[in-house]
Amino acid sequence: MSQSIISVENITKSVISNDNELSILKGISFNINAGESVAIMGTSGAGKSTLMSLLAGLDQPTSGKISILGETISTMDDEQRAKMRSESIGFVFQNFLLIPSLNALQNVTLPMVLRGNEDENSNNEKAKALLKEVGLAGRETHLPTQLSGGEQQRVALARAFVTRPKILFADEPTGNLDQKTAQHVIELLFAMNKEQGTTLVLVTHDPNLAKRCQRTLIINDGQCQESA
Amino acid sequence: MKTNKMIVSWSWREIWFGQLWPVMVALTLIIACVVALSTLALRVEKVMSNQGRALLAADLVFRSSNPIPTTLIEQAEQAGLTVSSQSRFQTMAFSDANMQLVTVKSVESNYPLRGELDLRSTTGQPIREVKPGELWVSERLLSLLDANTGDTIAIGDAELKINGVIKYEPELAYNPFNSIPNLFIHGSDLDKTGAVQVGSRVRYRLFINGDLQTLANLQANYELQAGESWVDQNKESRAARLMDKAKQYLSLTILMVILMAAVTLILTCLHYARNRSETVSMLKSMGASRAWLRLWLSTQVLIMFVVAFVAGSSLGLLLEYLLRIPLVDILPKELPSVGVQPFLFAIGVALCIGLPALLIPLTRLLDAPAINVIQKRETQYSKTSWWLLLLPITALITFYGTNKLVWMVLIGLLVLFVLLAGLSYGLLKLLAKLKWSAAFSLALSRINRSPRNSMMQLSALAGSLMLVALIWLIKSDLLGDWQQTLAPDAPNVFAINISPEQQEGYLKQVDTLELPRSDAFAIIRGRITAINDQNTIESEAYQNEEIRILKREINFTWAKELPVYNEVVAGEWTGEKTVSIEQEVASELGITLGDQLTFEVNSQIFSATVNSIRAVEWQSLKPNFVFIFSEDVVADLPATWMVSFRAETDQTPLVNQIAREYPTVTLLDLRTMANKIQGLLKQITFSLTGLAGLGVLAGILLIFTLLRLSLSERKREITLYRTLGASKKRISNTLWAEYGLLAISAGLVAAIAAEIILFSLMTWGFELPTQLHPTMWLVLPLLAVLVVFVSLISVIKELLKPLR
Repeated sequence: MSQSIISVENITKSVISNDNELSILKGISFNINAGESVAIMGTSGAGKSTLMSLLAGLDQPTSGKISILGETISTMDDEQRAKMRSESIGFVFQNFLLIPSLNALQNVTLPMVLRGNEDENSNNEKAKALLKEVGLAGRETHLPTQLSGGEQQRVALARAFVTRPKILFADEPTGNLDQKTAQHVIELLFAMNKEQGTTLVLVTHDPNLAKRCQRTLIINDGQCQESA
Repeated sequence: MKTNKMIVSWSWREIWFGQLWPVMVALTLIIACVVALSTLALRVEKVMSNQGRALLAADLVFRSSNPIPTTLIEQAEQAGLTVSSQSRFQTMAFSDANMQLVTVKSVESNYPLRGELDLRSTTGQPIREVKPGELWVSERLLSLLDANTGDTIAIGDAELKINGVIKYEPELAYNPFNSIPNLFIHGSDLDKTGAVQVGSRVRYRLFINGDLQTLANLQANYELQAGESWVDQNKESRAARLMDKAKQYLSLTILMVILMAAVTLILTCLHYARNRSETVSMLKSMGASRAWLRLWLSTQVLIMFVVAFVAGSSLGLLLEYLLRIPLVDILPKELPSVGVQPFLFAIGVALCIGLPALLIPLTRLLDAPAINVIQKRETQYSKTSWWLLLLPITALITFYGTNKLVWMVLIGLLVLFVLLAGLSYGLLKLLAKLKWSAAFSLALSRINRSPRNSMMQLSALAGSLMLVALIWLIKSDLLGDWQQTLAPDAPNVFAINISPEQQEGYLKQVDTLELPRSDAFAIIRGRITAINDQNTIESEAYQNEEIRILKREINFTWAKELPVYNEVVAGEWTGEKTVSIEQEVASELGITLGDQLTFEVNSQIFSATVNSIRAVEWQSLKPNFVFIFSEDVVADLPATWMVSFRAETDQTPLVNQIAREYPTVTLLDLRTMANKIQGLLKQITFSLTGLAGLGVLAGILLIFTLLRLSLSERKREITLYRTLGASKKRISNTLWAEYGLLAISAGLVAAIAAEIILFSLMTWGFELPTQLHPTMWLVLPLLAVLVVFVSLISVIKELLKPLR
């Protein structure tokens, strides 16, 4: 039996905007089991990204409890959450977010460095293997500006998987890519996910992408519904 | 450790890719300027004080009208000080052909203790000391006596053979009226002359060398008697006034260059922090701790400081060397060492400016929230690092606390800025209301749409232009004033002791030889004895050691009209039984218009009423007098006459001809000295011009950086226009119009501000006359447009690339 890796209990999130309190999430609860792939869908402004940033520990809920890997992150401070992220969480962003002054290889090894893995050779080997896996062998020394959008996102995939995270969060990973490139990136994402047994949480507008996940959560008016 | 290696190499790339290199350049510039200028200033100061000592012939001189007390000599020797004594008196010297009044200086073999003595015998080899039995005479005396080296002349009772001429001696007197030809004999020959007897007027000097503290102790432990005084180089500071102004200019320039570099530093840092906040958010989302980020950022800061220090110091030393080249004739071969002081000072300045400029935006960068990678949020930045601003403020107050000029510039800058930036902004707003071509109205609407941004740009641009203008114009105004002081046609030969009978013929002869001359002045020696019936001996001013005019005879003259080169600052040159007085003496003695002054010449007492007060430029080498009487007061008193004229180097035969025709007239040939002073001025001019050029360069670099930063921040917007289909021409026209308008208005604002600050600086700071600078009104906007042109050209290609 699979165990719960992310557990969300009745969380709410409100922000103050122009002196008005705006309720974005209004009491959401669900569980995600280890190894599951979950898509979060919803209209623009429904609170998908807010939910994801709470799950990933980038932000704190207004109330409620979030546990990741059995630890309550909603009560952790900034530094503790940063440590948790560096140890167990990977990210893929819509706009890639590679460091412009680092080449492809260095961008991929960066999470290892942040984690404190100081063995440069082993870091480089792991990174090279992953770059090869995403089809960028021989492009290690290229800077982000020398790579196309699809290539940059593939570097970002390699970067996300290099630490073998327990959970991978992907925020509209194909939002900035054309259809064909997007398809390629998606294939890679799911292949690597399957290979590493990572739990995948994906925010997307794309129903086809959502279909490839085992579960889909739909956010609407601050509430969460499991799609059939 | 490998992580650190990676951080170092990454930081290095971050500096170049992340546009932090202008920060490094600005830091380097600050350090280079501070090192170069403070080294030079220190060296020049040391040289000046060495020269001051050379002029005194020692570190400290004891002067007395009585023989030097042996106790003083013993005290000095016991304290380990070097001493040398001199006695001097005036007597007649006789050759076979002629006789002449001379000043005899009898010195010891170790004379001079400071400075250079250059004696030349027939061999032409320089000789540095006077030995017993020797006689050295000034060249002028040789010709006056019609004698040659090897001849024997009589000085008092002694018959001495002339060993050669005095080529150069310290203790040069710069008073054309009291100068009587010199000769040197050794102290052991003094008695032979028989000149020193009871009642003879001999003046004694004791030259003393040693470290400052021991000298000060000696001075403190000795109680001065009547007729005794101490002289050290601080008192002989007339020549130092020129240097003082140069030094003030130097420190002002350093400050302005630092100011400009600081602005570059702050702007680039802010720009960097804005651009990097996304990267920091991303690193945080991947789990980077604050400690790691701090390490990452501080490595960058450290690298920049280290590189800037190494590059800046080397550049600074090179710069100092280059600035020194034109000064090579003034500075001695062996330069006084300056130690590490300039370097420490430079590091201090760089830290004071660099730390707040770098750390405030970088600490804010640490606050960039991780969530920004997914959702842009407004961030509350902590203000904890603002205390760093205390660094430069404290330093400024400590170093420049009492410097009027500096505060004038700083406060003036601030006030003018707010005023003028507002003014030009209003002007731009007004312009927007008028009808313009498409490009101009787009540009104007763009400027007016983001007023805060536009104002920042406008003030930064205008500010740097203004500093550039100030650096250059202060230099020109200062130098202009110095050049006037010693105009190229200033008189350089003085003829004195012209008898009334000779006067007419003498002047005619000077005119026939076509030597440009001054008016002739009668010279009557006398004293001022009473001010408004109060005897001057009883006055307060008489007790003041600094005021000597009441204790000695001075030169009076009379005139029908006041010399044109004396500016009358109060009163009018009219009336009978009147006198015109020089303003500084008037204020020292508390004399005002209408005061009744009493004078004594050869036991004859007479009075005159003060009718005017004049400003006199003593350094100008023109005949000048403290008191000028109306003709009726003194014209009947016995007088000799003086006239000054200008002779070029190739006119020496003419000067000699006059000297032969009028052997009783004393000629003071100041050409060597005047040439030396003029040469000195020329060299200082050259150095200051180089310095000012450097300042201007720093300013232009700042403007260039500013514009490039501002343009690169527009990239996204321009790319959008481009993507929406705006033609390249339309975009570049708009950019041209926008930045052109900014440049022109900034140029005008800068010109107004510079004119105002310059006026205040010259009037209250340097105390020099002021004038308007019409060329600047044209040059500044043009310069601004030119720099805009270069900056635009350098980035426009990049800007016009369409989005990929």
